[in-house]
Amino acid sequence: MKAIRSNDAKWVPTYCYNCVAGPDLLTVKVENGVATQVRPNFAAEGVHPAAGRVCVKAFGLVQKTYNPNRILTPMRRTNPNKGRDQDPGWTPISWDEALDEITARLKDIRARGLIDEGGYPRVAATFGHGGTPAHYMGTLPAFLSAWGPIDFSFGSGQGVKCTHSEHLYGEYWHRAFTVAADTVNTKYIVSFGSNVEVTGGVCAVWRHADARDRGIKRVQVEPHLSVTGAASAEWVPIKPKTDPAFLFAMINVLLHEHPREALDVAFLRDRTASPYLVGPGGFYLRDPASGKPLMWDTRKGAPVPFDADGAVPALEGRFNVAEAIEHGPDGAVIPHQAVEGTTAFTLTAEEMRGYTPEWASGVCDVAAETIRRVANEYLENASIGATVEVDGQTLPYRPVAVTLGKTVNNGWGAYHACWGRTMLATLVGALEVPGGTLGTTIRLNYPHENRLASVRVGEDGFMAASLNPTDREHWLGKPSGRNAHRTLVPLVGNSSWSQALGPTHLAWMFLRDAPEGWPRPTFPELWFFYRTNPAIAFWDTRQLSDIMAQMPFVVAFAYTQDETNYMADILLPDATDLESTQLIRMGGTKFVEQHWEHQGVALRFPAVEPEGEARDLTWIAGELARRCGLQDRYNRALNRGAGCMPLKGEKFDFSLAEDREYAVDEIWDRVCKAATAAFSDGTEVHGLDWFKENGFFVVPFKRIDWYLTPTMIEKGLRYELPYQERLFRVGKELTTRMREAGHHWWDGQLEEYEPIPRWHDFPGMWTKTLAKMGGDPADFPLWGITTKVMQYTTGNNAAIQLMHEVAGNVRGVGRVMLHTGTARKLGIRRGDLVEVRSITGVTRGEAEPVEGIRPDTVVIPGQFDHWATPYARDLGYPSLNTVAPLSLDLTDSTGSGADVVLVSVRKIGEAAQ
Amino acid sequence: MRPTVVSGPWPRLQRAWDIRAACNFIGGGTGTGLILLALAAALGGADWLPALLLGLLFVGFGLTMVLFEIGRPWRALNVFLHPQTSWMTREGVLALPLFGAGVAAAAAEWLGWHGAALAGLSVAAVSAAGFLYCQARILRAARGIPSWREPALTPYILVSGLTEGAGLLAVVHAGAPWASVVLLALLLVRAGVWHHYRETLARRGAPAATLEVLGRLTPRLLAVGHAAPAGLLVAALTLQWPPLAVAAGLVAAGCGWRAKLVLITRAAQTQGFAIPRTPIRGRGTSRTAAKPGWSSQ
Amino acid sequence: MTRYVMVADLRRCVGCQTCTAACKHANATPPGVMWRKVVDIEVGSYPDVQRVFVPTGCQHCDDPPCVSVCPSTASAKRADGFVTIDYDICIGCGYCMTACPYEARYKVDEAAWAYGDKAMRHEAMRFDERKVGVAQKCTFCVDTVDAGLAQGLTPGVDPDATPACVNSCISRAMTFGDLDDPDSNVSKLLRENRHFRMHEDAGTGPGFYYLWDREELPL
Repeated sequence: MKAIRSNDAKWVPTYCYNCVAGPDLLTVKVENGVATQVRPNFAAEGVHPAAGRVCVKAFGLVQKTYNPNRILTPMRRTNPNKGRDQDPGWTPISWDEALDEITARLKDIRARGLIDEGGYPRVAATFGHGGTPAHYMGTLPAFLSAWGPIDFSFGSGQGVKCTHSEHLYGEYWHRAFTVAADTVNTKYIVSFGSNVEVTGGVCAVWRHADARDRGIKRVQVEPHLSVTGAASAEWVPIKPKTDPAFLFAMINVLLHEHPREALDVAFLRDRTASPYLVGPGGFYLRDPASGKPLMWDTRKGAPVPFDADGAVPALEGRFNVAEAIEHGPDGAVIPHQAVEGTTAFTLTAEEMRGYTPEWASGVCDVAAETIRRVANEYLENASIGATVEVDGQTLPYRPVAVTLGKTVNNGWGAYHACWGRTMLATLVGALEVPGGTLGTTIRLNYPHENRLASVRVGEDGFMAASLNPTDREHWLGKPSGRNAHRTLVPLVGNSSWSQALGPTHLAWMFLRDAPEGWPRPTFPELWFFYRTNPAIAFWDTRQLSDIMAQMPFVVAFAYTQDETNYMADILLPDATDLESTQLIRMGGTKFVEQHWEHQGVALRFPAVEPEGEARDLTWIAGELARRCGLQDRYNRALNRGAGCMPLKGEKFDFSLAEDREYAVDEIWDRVCKAATAAFSDGTEVHGLDWFKENGFFVVPFKRIDWYLTPTMIEKGLRYELPYQERLFRVGKELTTRMREAGHHWWDGQLEEYEPIPRWHDFPGMWTKTLAKMGGDPADFPLWGITTKVMQYTTGNNAAIQLMHEVAGNVRGVGRVMLHTGTARKLGIRRGDLVEVRSITGVTRGEAEPVEGIRPDTVVIPGQFDHWATPYARDLGYPSLNTVAPLSLDLTDSTGSGADVVLVSVRKIGEAAQ
Repeated sequence: MRPTVVSGPWPRLQRAWDIRAACNFIGGGTGTGLILLALAAALGGADWLPALLLGLLFVGFGLTMVLFEIGRPWRALNVFLHPQTSWMTREGVLALPLFGAGVAAAAAEWLGWHGAALAGLSVAAVSAAGFLYCQARILRAARGIPSWREPALTPYILVSGLTEGAGLLAVVHAGAPWASVVLLALLLVRAGVWHHYRETLARRGAPAATLEVLGRLTPRLLAVGHAAPAGLLVAALTLQWPPLAVAAGLVAAGCGWRAKLVLITRAAQTQGFAIPRTPIRGRGTSRTAAKPGWSSQ
Repeated sequence: MTRYVMVADLRRCVGCQTCTAACKHANATPPGVMWRKVVDIEVGSYPDVQRVFVPTGCQHCDDPPCVSVCPSTASAKRADGFVTIDYDICIGCGYCMTACPYEARYKVDEAAWAYGDKAMRHEAMRFDERKVGVAQKCTFCVDTVDAGLAQGLTPGVDPDATPACVNSCISRAMTFGDLDDPDSNVSKLLRENRHFRMHEDAGTGPGFYYLWDREELPL
């Protein structure tokens, strides 16, 4: 073969959104119609916070396009039996046949009603990590909207693979679905297992590298030395699931080892509920007339409503109030005469008094002096009193932050960790100000693209919250989805994202085994999924596969054969990243660590023609809509903005006619025009052709809009901290509702609704659960945890050879990492084949002994153990998911569980020479 | 189908040269040793032609094996392009007079032209000495392989070549006491230079895996490859029973070959990757670092 | 004079292997061949442990052992610092691979593809038969640099005259430039920071510098 010298080469712009930290902007070299190379989009320098660079995953897109294992024609299953041991017997069919078969089912469902006898949607859908598939599914959201109720409760890892509790509590407290340090301004970060150098995308990597240059100190508190730990100034190994104890001890040091003036007293007094008086019932003492919470006004020496003009409330103390009421659960009003009210701050300080560094040391297995030093460094760096000018406004400058990683943020103890982190920011006034702890995006409130605009004045001086009702009249005792998110999790709300953020493992678990008294949910009549592989990405993957095999009719958008679509009835090959068209939003503030000084849109369009019979999702969605007779509803959804932006605004109208079919390019041309018109206030209108040349369109985004506090000040609002009166009440109500309905299986979760979180033996919950499952904890002496791998995380790309090749340079990938001393005791050497066993499963892989890990911990990076995906199935990589049990006992009140499992390790083979 | 995972900074076994390259050091060493000893035999008045021919055969065998190892054998002539610095070029260049003169000497001897034959043999022997020296220097110039670049390996390669040649000479001249004496002496020297090589390598620091391989090899090499043939030779001389000397010769040569095979294909770990200091991340600290996978600095 | 070198800031690198992948794209290297890669090194013992990510590859040495051992003169050193391989001369003896203390050189004896026996379209299109059976290694993207220079661009500054690894780096850890130009980006970095080179005791004079701390500038 001779090298072909191309004379027809060009670099075309597109984007990568394989992880939530996207989009990364890139260009693809196309030579004679073949995509050959990826490189950054250098034109984005000055626009994109990482100068248009793309992470390693984007370099897998060329192989992704030409992977010979792709499914390139629609397929029908011929073997009616499903299971891991059943060859599906795929036979190629035409698109017409495939769509006819699906449409026939859909029309039949529509004819019989979208909701089944059990009250659940007959159609269910599952999408991959963190909304990433939405950036590839073209106009499919318009079809979903046109269809009506769909059950999104069959998760693919949601609640166990994201920072779940942060999503719920972060958004509740400070419109922070994801929380980040203000890395570009901060000086000190305590990171509890947050692995931003791996999962934060190029923006995080770039700005943290700059921060190191600037002289930041980041302390990584984590059981093993992750990439982020490596790039930090200090690594503090901590026992898994004890992070709240460390955080509480830091709070203790701030509250009890420093004079009060060392804290940001003004912020606590004016911007939080610290001065609110709490009554004997645990609820705020309220003004009997207005029902408003009371504070003690030091000027008048009397209680006043929280919004009294000119009041200077006492931050601390106990005060006698002549007359007040408490608002208990279910509308109960508790009247008081001559009652003692204690400020929320004092209650918090008292609650935290026992959590000394010496106490935490015993829990966390970290020296007390280390915890104390970190707390003191945190306080020292907070620069209380300092200010900085941003966009002409003077704001407090508090360059300290605390960040939390996935396993800290999931399952038991996660509420406590989130509260501890947010309190640490609150005590020094570092919440939502320059240098401090910031939210980046929202998903449970609207509008999704502007978290500042989502701030609405609610009750008691706080932001309005979007909780699911728990009162007797409105509580949804009969779930609307199979994971019962609105029934069980008030905090998750009811936005378009809420269901998938509910306890998504419950949907899987209940199909097999519903708790006593809980009706076993029905199987959805048609389940479809896109860009996800829950049979690998969730837990107890064997059990999950068995449940999938029982789904009556499964439609898979399929890239290659994989473990989930192995159970499908129809495979639909979709055009992949470099082969299809879509316009998406970018910039502003967004997931993980994205704080831009621009916002706008980016286009992805076919750099190359789709391989085989693969079709653009927009074409597929349009066909489904047309064939189901939903054209008008589909077009209306697009007009409303289901394809990125509303097609009609004050100064423009690119709406689709409701009764007409439109070609893929025509739709996106209109979306492009609407988006540019919307962002430029009608001054610029660019169509698809313009974007094909230029790739993206942006307008400036103000830096002040990175911070929520100015909005809070403007609206006269307080952060709902430290005391969780509202959640305490909600918890009481939900407890009553569940008891009334005869359900006791959620009792443990209901105990989590504490107004001030207290330490519980979180690691002990795993030990107890193990014993309950019939295991002897002595047989499983090690903590099994996982860590993400940049080459793979959320990319659904284990079948890409290039990722495998380059990830081989990162230690531990595809292996079982354990401490050298532990390995020695077990007679294990590098490369030996080992077996990691839990009470529910076994996974096997090569051992990698390292020093940077606690001796009682085992880390299995990534998610593998594929058995159907070509290429990936030959890797022989282990996976924690295989051995992690799906367990109600290990599910917290937000419906999440942590990637932690007690395991044993033994050698089963010698290293290959 | 799973490709090898290549992670880690540790020294790993070099993958450029395999048994075919080892054969060149085996063939080249034994062959040149034989040719040098053939000259000694000639000067001592003994029969030298079989040793010369066998020597040429060995060198030729080694070079042929190399031809199978190189990626572009039909460009083999390019090997002559870099005599300024490349010991491989020099080895190749010396192969020309070695074979030319060697074949000529054999032909002259066959024709009965003893003077010319001796002259040819002399040229071949000088070339052989150069060739052998080149082989030693080839390894020394392989600066990516700590066990090869060690200067103390040079005398071993030289002595082992002679010893392997002497081993086969003892076979060729079965029963000649002088051949046994020469081999006995060389065995003593080879044991010494091997010991010196290993000691020096360990003292200066080397990949732990290399030292482990050499550590496993050494007792066997000394016992089987040196003590045993030495004992056989002493017995052969004392008992005047030639088969013992033949056996000793074969064992002495064979163990030399085995040692070279190990040196080239197993005790040949790379330098690995190392940093003298760790970087300061933000307000972190730097520390000095060791070489991963090394015995010492 | 001109001496092109690479500077890697170990404080910034996070070992993500984006440069590794970018290099494989830019140079169409076959599976298993990584001209650029980042090595993951652990230092110390628990709990006092650090991990360092070290980008490596051909160091384009001042005194390259690969060049002196090369019997064919295929390996050569340019006056501006690049160590090059002439694929049309190389006999593929592999000697240079053993001479390199940085494991920078590779040799593949037959065409290899990412997914088994058959080349994907982009692989087939970019396959270069000349690289089979001969030594190959990082070129510092010499063709890109030369083409950029021909257009008046500055290597290390303009992407079209800069090695792919540098262009791709998501932590801005890697910088390429002319060491002999006191005003170049690399000269400035080396002046302002403390640095070392790998295996400096090997005496090869590597053209690859690692930054590890700020230089304490005189008061």
